[in-house]
Amino acid sequence: MTKLKKSTNQKAWLTAALGAAVACGTQAYEVPLSFFGTNLPPVDFHGFASQGFLYSSDYNYLDSDSKNGSFQFSEVGLNASFDPFPHTHITTQGFLFDVGNIGKYQPDLDYGLIDYNFSDALGVRAGRILRPEGIYNTVQSVDLTRTFILLPQGMYDARYRDFSGAVDGGSVYGSLGLAKAGSLSYEVYGGMVTLSDHGGVARYLEDTLNHPPYTSYNGEGDFPEFGLQLWWNTPVSGLRAGLAAIESIDYNFDYSISPLIGGPGDIHSSLDTTGLHPSLEYQWKNWTFQTEYRVNYQTVDNTSGGRPYNAGSGHAANETWYAAAAYRFNKWFEAGTYYTEDYNDLYDTGNSKQYQKDLALSFRFDPTDWWIIKIEGHYLHGTGLLHDNADNPIGGQDDRGWFMLDLKTTVSF
Amino acid sequence: MKTNWIKLGLVIAALGAGFDRALALDGAVVIANPGVTADSLSADALKDIYTAKTKYWDGGQAITIAVLPDKTDAALQQVCGMDSSSFKTFWQRLAFSGRGQEPKKADDAAALVALVAASKGAIAIVPADAILNGVKKIEVK
Repeated sequence: MTKLKKSTNQKAWLTAALGAAVACGTQAYEVPLSFFGTNLPPVDFHGFASQGFLYSSDYNYLDSDSKNGSFQFSEVGLNASFDPFPHTHITTQGFLFDVGNIGKYQPDLDYGLIDYNFSDALGVRAGRILRPEGIYNTVQSVDLTRTFILLPQGMYDARYRDFSGAVDGGSVYGSLGLAKAGSLSYEVYGGMVTLSDHGGVARYLEDTLNHPPYTSYNGEGDFPEFGLQLWWNTPVSGLRAGLAAIESIDYNFDYSISPLIGGPGDIHSSLDTTGLHPSLEYQWKNWTFQTEYRVNYQTVDNTSGGRPYNAGSGHAANETWYAAAAYRFNKWFEAGTYYTEDYNDLYDTGNSKQYQKDLALSFRFDPTDWWIIKIEGHYLHGTGLLHDNADNPIGGQDDRGWFMLDLKTTVSF
Repeated sequence: MKTNWIKLGLVIAALGAGFDRALALDGAVVIANPGVTADSLSADALKDIYTAKTKYWDGGQAITIAVLPDKTDAALQQVCGMDSSSFKTFWQRLAFSGRGQEPKKADDAAALVALVAASKGAIAIVPADAILNGVKKIEVK
């Protein structure tokens, strides 16, 4: 009963947010600001709210009940920004989401930063910043910025946004002219990744490590991450090429395997990850072509009672890629498709429990400037991105194709 | 090996030369708030503004882009290589990631001119036949 009431309140909250966004219409809110008798520049407000539907033919994917169809697929964001002093930009965005049992409408600070721009070639950002990586990492939560409902999930997993989204730290950025060769944009960042108790990684570890052969999941720790994103804006109009490099250090979590079943007791696991992520995007007339690839190399170091615990320790690697094309027929209709493959284990690419392949076809309608409706179908092979647990047992290898249908609507101002 | 690098450089230079562009806005002019110190901009400088590489005027005043959807699409394409839909998506990605301020919209040419006149640091592309009250015209070289 309590759970039902809480769920009802959450939906009411979301509905109110949606209504408020619609009421705002097409224009952003601009609020004048007075401070110590001085008229500062106005504060700009923008926001969005999305509600989706997920249906899966075979597995409970993304949501814990998508086989029966689920509306637990929502996002709400509200941001404010202003330029109080020369060369200075201050901005923040609050965000909440729900995908199955992840997110649960808990408000989070998506970003909050101060940006000082010395010149086109050099600027600094400090605070909570969204990590620049590839075409979509900074806007993976913002449905209105793309054709598709679900981005290729091996690269931009809707469940792991607290893990992949932001760092608390800073970045240095800028754009360098290359004369006839176009220009080069760069952003170098570093900071701490703060994991959420209701985030996707915590849920995944809970789901996995609270079941045999493990005894219990005992929590995870924040960790530092550094990275670089380069974009070469080529002299060919609309064509850009990117390369991101990511280094995360000591992402760690604790779990146990009881000595009663032959385990060592408490185990501390630490992962160092090096990632590379090249991207290519070409916008030509009404077409947009995109392709990206990401590979991660990991070193896993497990210890128990301060001594090395070799089971599970060692090196691992995973990769994912996609190719996408989208065509805009007119201002209110566009269609797109992508094909993507994800391999959790580069050393076991033939195991359907370790890969997932997805062919998607998406249609986007923009009835008004502030309202979007999307419908999308997926034909998938493999179960590598599913959470395999007692509530959603995957079983053995299964290379049959399966389907997903997604619907989503977004309002914004 | 050195010869290969020279060849690569020549190819890039030739490619760049092939895509060198000259800008002559068709049926539109560029205007700015009177407080903007610049009287003229190169085509590349204007493109840098519309593609978010340049976000501040000399002196540090934030640049505010104002747009008139559907009325100046051809000129917008000339300036930054994007049509109005791509331009909107481009700026939404910046605005919702903390990396820029979304352009302000106006419903007609008169409203756009009034918006630019009232907004510090504002710049806009307006139809050439618009009545320019309270704004300055920016020459695009």
